[in-house]
Amino acid sequence: MSADQPPYLVADLSLAAFGRKEIQLAEHEMPGLMAVRAEYAPSQPLRGARITGSLHMTVQTAVLIETLTALGAQVRWASCNIFSTQDHAAAAVAVGPDGTPDDPKGIPVFAWKGESLEEYWHCAELALTWPGTDGPNMILDDGGDATLFVHKGAEYEKAGGVPSPSADDPEEWVIILDRLRNSLADHPGKWTRAAASIQGVTEETTTGVHRLYEMYRAGTLLFPAINVNDSVTKSKFDNKYGCRHSLIDGIKRGTDVLIGGKVAVVCGYGDVGKGCAESLRGQGARVIVTEIDPICALQAAMDGYQVATLEDVVESADIFITATGNRDVITAGHMNRMKHQAIVGNIGHFDNEIDMAGLAKLPGVRRLTIKPQVDEWNFADGRGIIVLSEGRLLNLGNATGHPSFVMSNSFTNQVIAQVELFTKNTEYPIGVHTLPKHLDEKVARLHLDALGVRLTQLTKEQADYIGVTVDGPYKPEHYRY
Amino acid sequence: MPLLAALHERFKEERPFEGLSIAACLHITAETAMLVRLLRAGGAAVSLAASNPLSTQDDIAAALAVNHGIEVFARAGVDRKGYYRHIELALAQAPDGPHLVIDDGGDLVNTLHTRAASLLPNVLGGCESTTTGVIRLRRMAAEGALAFPVIAANDTATKRMVDNTCGTGQSAIDGILRATNTLLAGKTVVVAGFGASGRGVAEYARGFGAQVIVTEVDPVRALDASLRGFRVLPMARAAPLGEVFVTATGSVDVITADHLAVMRDGAILANAGHFDVEIDVRALAGLAVAVHRDVRPHVDAYDLGDGRTLLLLAEGRVVNLVAAEGHPPEVMDLAFGVEALALAWLAAATSGSTGDKLPAGVHEVPAGIDAEAAALVLAATGTSIDTLTAAQLAYRESWRIGS
Repeated sequence: MSADQPPYLVADLSLAAFGRKEIQLAEHEMPGLMAVRAEYAPSQPLRGARITGSLHMTVQTAVLIETLTALGAQVRWASCNIFSTQDHAAAAVAVGPDGTPDDPKGIPVFAWKGESLEEYWHCAELALTWPGTDGPNMILDDGGDATLFVHKGAEYEKAGGVPSPSADDPEEWVIILDRLRNSLADHPGKWTRAAASIQGVTEETTTGVHRLYEMYRAGTLLFPAINVNDSVTKSKFDNKYGCRHSLIDGIKRGTDVLIGGKVAVVCGYGDVGKGCAESLRGQGARVIVTEIDPICALQAAMDGYQVATLEDVVESADIFITATGNRDVITAGHMNRMKHQAIVGNIGHFDNEIDMAGLAKLPGVRRLTIKPQVDEWNFADGRGIIVLSEGRLLNLGNATGHPSFVMSNSFTNQVIAQVELFTKNTEYPIGVHTLPKHLDEKVARLHLDALGVRLTQLTKEQADYIGVTVDGPYKPEHYRY
Repeated sequence: MPLLAALHERFKEERPFEGLSIAACLHITAETAMLVRLLRAGGAAVSLAASNPLSTQDDIAAALAVNHGIEVFARAGVDRKGYYRHIELALAQAPDGPHLVIDDGGDLVNTLHTRAASLLPNVLGGCESTTTGVIRLRRMAAEGALAFPVIAANDTATKRMVDNTCGTGQSAIDGILRATNTLLAGKTVVVAGFGASGRGVAEYARGFGAQVIVTEVDPVRALDASLRGFRVLPMARAAPLGEVFVTATGSVDVITADHLAVMRDGAILANAGHFDVEIDVRALAGLAVAVHRDVRPHVDAYDLGDGRTLLLLAEGRVVNLVAAEGHPPEVMDLAFGVEALALAWLAAATSGSTGDKLPAGVHEVPAGIDAEAAALVLAATGTSIDTLTAAQLAYRESWRIGS
């Protein structure tokens, strides 16, 4: 193994025992994944799959990874966020259930909490590099970074070179271009071969799905994709119930502020925003919603929230949360007008919802790190605001992300999507697909027993009356739950 | 009404009011009828007047008079003069005046001390049912004007919880909905007062999807509202924002001409407090160029002449009784049960059978009555609770045992 091909890169292998204990706890809270293991492990449907995963390297992801390997896959993994890795989980995955820190037998994982952007993209490239092969034949993506890297690599190989960055390009884009430039020099044709060998990608989140649809429309998508995000048992559960849980957790671990009585602004009232608003209200905050979509705005109003523009409330609110999936939602100008000690955080996937670069460029602004992922930004006039996780998603940066049970729903979708794409590849042409509804319903069904839910069974007559079969699917495709 | 039913059996045996006459001034509703029947079962001769000119349910009044031999003086829609005459008639039914009184707002006790003072020597004591009445009685007592002991039946944990918070909260909203059929979701509702009643109104309005603004004068309650996630503003700032206003303060002049002048077109004004003094109805009439009465039942439209119309519900009187049916029976069951137990205790105390006579003044409901009433309701509804073990009792009562 050469120096640039380490078997794994994690913070500290000695954390593996603690990680393994947490994985075992999580397995109990992830009944869907464990049921999938029991159902599919005997037939090994993922035998021959080389899956590159780019997804927050947490304890729950460890259970996902070990489910994929239990189904026969080989896996290489990187995190999809510089702050979201749980180092004990990464260590446990590297060591594996049967290894020891001195004799690790797990999977190649390249992730630690607090990577630099250079390190982050190095890890992504390592996870996408399969020694002795053309590369992965499956991608499991969260946010689309792994897919992007392969696509851009192949695109520049075809174009004959990597373009030079312009002065306006974000720092991260410059780093990606540098890395690809080196790769093209050292391993010509690597990404074209990888793209050809990849049978498909399963994408976890809204942001990544958005990128995939854009690529498909532009005609640049190189392999089929399953949009896991829009499974009902993913988007509704992960986005709403997961964020409802972990937003509050992150704010509290970061600041320990009393939420009762505070005015909290939630930017965006999609599934994530709905969960955020509900939990903030549940803690006694007065919640104000900002929206650009009249339907979501009306929903917020009918749910009893004040709907305002950020301009109107930026000087009076105590807590600001972005949940839009869009960019430039909270600008430096907004932050400069906020109350002293206002708390600013983002729960959307990328760090462009809050203009951190603009904040850093404000005249006289100083950054004081209170603790990891909690910074006080002091303005020239003596006011300061608290920014969580540097504007990256705070529920993962300041807390531990979605709880296991929620992740069991989305990850069970992931595993089923990987099996679908890998074993029925001819049924999925290049494009962005969603999982068929009967599989969505199956994911839900696998989680009912653990909650003591007793499901009522349709009679044949009842099923006929509403035009479905007794075993489902129970709703038309357009049904909105 | 399981509590009153349980007490009915007990009072029939124990006859706590044997030989006593009771004058009551209460809203004439089906629940009140149950209380009166309970008092009669306990041996009392009962006379009854209405405690609000608009809340009388005439069919109930008739049934009490015809079927149960109660001296009832009440008619829906009676004027102010007739209202007080009814109270005087109720007081005059026993030859020497009543032995015990039950009041709801303090009008009967007030009449007794002013226009029927000759009857005072015969009165052993009474109960007051509402916050408003208790406030008046404490002022009377402070001036030395209160001639007999009165138990503040309003001031118990169960009453505040069930009657004020749940009962007023639910029925005030009910009254507003029946009167206007407005959708509360998405509306801005201003609740004046965050006492036990206001909190109920605020929480239930939020449950309907309204954005609720609370106004308060008490910093503790204002902080409570704020920590529960309500926006707290002075009425002057809330007035231009609200679409529905509910007063629940027990105070006077809560919504004044200044507030009315800046309200939005179509704003709905409702009072959930006892008296019709919380919304300045006269000022509203003064601002209006025209008043359209009963555009829907219990809705008067005040045309301000500048394109705005304000909707006053129930003439500013207690909206939950006028436009809806008052508290549901479950609420009144507990409130009246506590009142009946307190009255029975008072009858024993003032007749000297429990030792010292009670002095004139306002008294708390004796400890134990609240718990007894709650336990009877729980038993009747099949709810079981835990009992402290001997070890737990010892732990609670000893300062020697720590961790």
